[in-house]
Amino acid sequence: MLRTLDQNPESLVVPFPGIVLSPQEARIERGEPVGLIGDAARSKRARIHSMIEGFRERPIRLNVERARLLTESMRQTEGQPTVLRWGKALAHILEHHPIHIEDDELLVGSAGPSGRYAVVYCENAGYGRFYTRDNELTVSRPGDPIIITEADIAVLKNEVLPYWDNHQYNAALMKALPADTKRLMEKIFIVTSTAAARSMLAWAHDYGKVLNRGIGSIKREAETKLDAINPLDTQACVEDKPFLEAVILVCDAMVTFAHRHAALARTMAAAEPRAERREELLEIARVCDRVPEHPATTLREATQSQWFVQIVSRLEQSIGGVVGNGRIDQYLYPYYKKDLEAGRISDDDALVLLESIWVGMARTVDLYAKPGEPSLTDGFAHWEATTIGGVSRDGRDATNELSYLILQSKREFPLHYPDLSARIHSRTPDAFLHAIAETIKEGTGFPKLFFDDEIIPSLLAKGAEVAEANDYCVTGCTEVKMLNRDVVATGCAWVNLGAILEMTLNSGRLKFYSDDRIGVVTGDASGFATFDELWTAFSAQAENVMRHTFIQQFVADKLKSSFIASPMFSMLHDLCTADCKDIHAGPIKNGLYLGFFDIIGFGTVIDSLAAIKKLVFDDRTLTMDELLTALDADFAGHEAVRQMCLNAPKYGNNDPYADNIGRDIEETFALLAHSQTSAFGGELDLRYVSVTSHVPLGMIVAATPDGRRSGEPLSESVSPSQGADVHGPTATLASIASTKCAQYKERAARLLNMKLSPASVAGEIGTKKVMALIRSVCDMKMWHLQFSIINRETLLAAQANPEKYRNLLVRVAGYSAYFVDLTPALQNEIIRRTEHTA
Amino acid sequence: MIADAASGNGTRGWIFNIQKFSLHDGAGIRTVVFLKGCPLACRWCSNPESQAYRPELLYARDRCIGEHECDRCIRVCKAAAIGRDADGKAAIDRSLCNNCGDCAGACPSKALEVSGTLVSVDEVIRAVEQDSGFYVRSGGGLTLSGGEPLAQDSFAERLLATARRRGLDTAIETSGFCRWEALQRVAPLVDQLFYDIKCLDTEKHRVATGVSNEIVLDNFQKLRRDFPATVVVVRTPIIPGLNDSREDIQAIARFIDSAGGATAHELLAYHGFGEPKYQRLGRTYPLGCVETASDESMAVLRKAAACGGDRR
Repeated sequence: MLRTLDQNPESLVVPFPGIVLSPQEARIERGEPVGLIGDAARSKRARIHSMIEGFRERPIRLNVERARLLTESMRQTEGQPTVLRWGKALAHILEHHPIHIEDDELLVGSAGPSGRYAVVYCENAGYGRFYTRDNELTVSRPGDPIIITEADIAVLKNEVLPYWDNHQYNAALMKALPADTKRLMEKIFIVTSTAAARSMLAWAHDYGKVLNRGIGSIKREAETKLDAINPLDTQACVEDKPFLEAVILVCDAMVTFAHRHAALARTMAAAEPRAERREELLEIARVCDRVPEHPATTLREATQSQWFVQIVSRLEQSIGGVVGNGRIDQYLYPYYKKDLEAGRISDDDALVLLESIWVGMARTVDLYAKPGEPSLTDGFAHWEATTIGGVSRDGRDATNELSYLILQSKREFPLHYPDLSARIHSRTPDAFLHAIAETIKEGTGFPKLFFDDEIIPSLLAKGAEVAEANDYCVTGCTEVKMLNRDVVATGCAWVNLGAILEMTLNSGRLKFYSDDRIGVVTGDASGFATFDELWTAFSAQAENVMRHTFIQQFVADKLKSSFIASPMFSMLHDLCTADCKDIHAGPIKNGLYLGFFDIIGFGTVIDSLAAIKKLVFDDRTLTMDELLTALDADFAGHEAVRQMCLNAPKYGNNDPYADNIGRDIEETFALLAHSQTSAFGGELDLRYVSVTSHVPLGMIVAATPDGRRSGEPLSESVSPSQGADVHGPTATLASIASTKCAQYKERAARLLNMKLSPASVAGEIGTKKVMALIRSVCDMKMWHLQFSIINRETLLAAQANPEKYRNLLVRVAGYSAYFVDLTPALQNEIIRRTEHTA
Repeated sequence: MIADAASGNGTRGWIFNIQKFSLHDGAGIRTVVFLKGCPLACRWCSNPESQAYRPELLYARDRCIGEHECDRCIRVCKAAAIGRDADGKAAIDRSLCNNCGDCAGACPSKALEVSGTLVSVDEVIRAVEQDSGFYVRSGGGLTLSGGEPLAQDSFAERLLATARRRGLDTAIETSGFCRWEALQRVAPLVDQLFYDIKCLDTEKHRVATGVSNEIVLDNFQKLRRDFPATVVVVRTPIIPGLNDSREDIQAIARFIDSAGGATAHELLAYHGFGEPKYQRLGRTYPLGCVETASDESMAVLRKAAACGGDRR
């Protein structure tokens, strides 16, 4: 085993490390301003460098225009088929939304005003939760992250909100729920539905279809179908026709939108004094006249076409976590290769085009999360999921030169856009894995990893064809989608496992809700004679909460198509066009409805049940009464009890005592999932993706028997409780693997964060060990893994001195965000996560 | 080296830790098994709980929750070795303590813990093999460390032989202060051998470690003579004031060459991470205030070591 010994001897000597900084930490300590990283990148992509200089300081403006135009159209179309109304509305927006072209930009199109902006989605719950103070719309003050003007408020108050007050899906949904379900749903943070928060779950589009065929071809197909409708086919006349008419309207409007940009570019060219920029503007005009109407012929046209689809998508609806980029290294590759072979472009030219998309995405800020208060997606979370690597439709390794270029860009482009995902499989080349490990070591949390060896078989079990499963892309945080097979559209719920535990110990009551009985009567916990009796009570509380979760989801699915339609989205989906149905109007023929629910606080509840089993029933060092009294007092005056709880067996240490309880919890919920068929004949899968919901969900949960105090965050996703895993990452991984019930197909994402110290992965040896770790995780058939390579000292320094660390990016949960933008509760939670030091 | 009635001819032994995901103790991702007991008492030792051959009580005073909440340890101690300090926290009279561990069992906060467990070869191998998947991908495996693992030579030999038979990569970290026969028996069982040479000056060595370096140097020469193909990495901890001059390091490098060379010679900067552990054992830190060698001086010393001569 000589492989480590033939290396540079300097790098061998790391057993006694002091503080080693990640490259990101080192840049911040040196006080480097934001810009492309490295002299070569800066000189060869000067255009991008100048576009992002001082980016974080630029104000964020509210885009109320889309809301105004949408509302204006909607007022005109009351009573018409939903899909046609939305088609008309989108066409109205695309024809009248203000447009502009920024200095220096090559790819044009924006869903807002110049600079950084946030779109108001007035049709969603809380009107898309745009920035307000005390729930009142007020003009922004200095220091607020988003600028809201008098004029914005006037538009919203006079032209937009009054209409939506009576036409929102969310309000209708709450009215439509059965009384007992509604009662539970109204108690916030027990079951947190996201059905009406966004128009759609996380998704991407089949961009390749637009690049290869052009919007013109999609329109012609719709026209042919419309012409072919038999006037005596009543169903087709009533249902298919409005869909096809909406598609045609949207196709025309998309082309108009591009042509408006072409005309603007020509006007600007006429007034442009610099010859070079004049030529660029004329080229922009030529490209916008061509795409997205026609097939793209070059990488430039392909990227512009892709960007137009993204912009129109953002104007059409809010997609969970922002619309994804799909398998960008796959659908762009033919254009890149052709340009390269023809000598038309260099790799740097290709990077400028890709990074133009990144800059465009970075200009949009998602309003759903607002900083400063605990939130479900803290720190302006965004997931324009961008997938690289993995296997091809025919099962070969799909990595290509673009996959490597995108990783290079991730190391050199300093903003946390795009959210990058790498698909790993058993034959991922070492060279690619090396580039991934080097990128991870930068310390900004990219890329996150998805494992084909787990995900593809799981999709096959759910009914996908092999080629479809092989071609999955990442969307949102840790979801995956087969773009022409998946059809589920409605947002799903976070289920508070901590609250279920508290109900178990209090016969259905929650302290936060004044001891109201919210769950079912399971009896006084101090009367439980065995752990099995406690477990029976836990199962009963779980079943009750899940029953309401399923009902809520069912009603949400059924009701949605009366309120929301997405013709642009639907016309890019093979199954929707085949069935002439909008994506929201289920059931869509041959579609796979793969919904889900997330259970939050897995580690907290495993540890709590393990503590009760150990202390109360096995060792009998505590009575249930003593424990309940301590919990009721939030451990005040009961520090010895809390210490015993803290030192009971913990999930994350490869200890079967705790892990077996985790497996039983998984089985309980997997069986509940297995028992269900969703509204349109699909499944609802068990997942463990908290994003940042474990912080607010923890706020309503009293002290728990794992030693956690009242109101503290629950454990995050599938990760062990913060700081509970003390035997290194291999033991953590083993625990996670052994809680999985692989026999049920109703399972999906398990989000896993792993924090390593920069010292533990220093040097080329460290890179090799990260690679080996990733290979092993692939062998273990994990769904997802993301790394934080950061020093605890840096996080503490950033809390004390936020100005200096303004640009410090950290992995949160399926996304990266600026540490200083996170709420203090989440900052502390991240600091408390175990840092593995090896 | 120690007569060991409990060990059952090496089928059982005393360990104080099994550390997984170890990245700096041999190739790949490894599991390090720390055997208890050491004939040396290096003044900089970062694992002082490794030195005694038998279980020893560790007391982390900061974790003690004090008299208002707890008196469990005082009540269970049959030797009456535990009282209270001025802050009401537990205070241990080490002269009365017999390291029975009853207090550790009663302590809710794990302020009191016993270091040292008697385990079987099978138990250790089972724990080590939990990470087999990581060894296969990284080229890692089992590393025996200590203490001085060859102080329990029969146990160490059985562990390594069993690991070998089961296809695990093996390594050992030794001070070289052991019977030659012990080293002779384990050398063929390891893929990689880490061998400490701390100082060539016998008297300085005796003051710093408590023992002479003659056995260490003699064993090294025999090792290179009888097992020239074994991968041997010599390690020298750099302790300011003891061996941090160019001359000290060059002397070691020359000695290594004269004995037949080594695969590599690694210099490790001393660090003071072990200091809190002395407090937990009720001992004072023998090294006092010593600064870690700077990166610059380490670079100079590494250059000096590299000039030593032949490397294989």
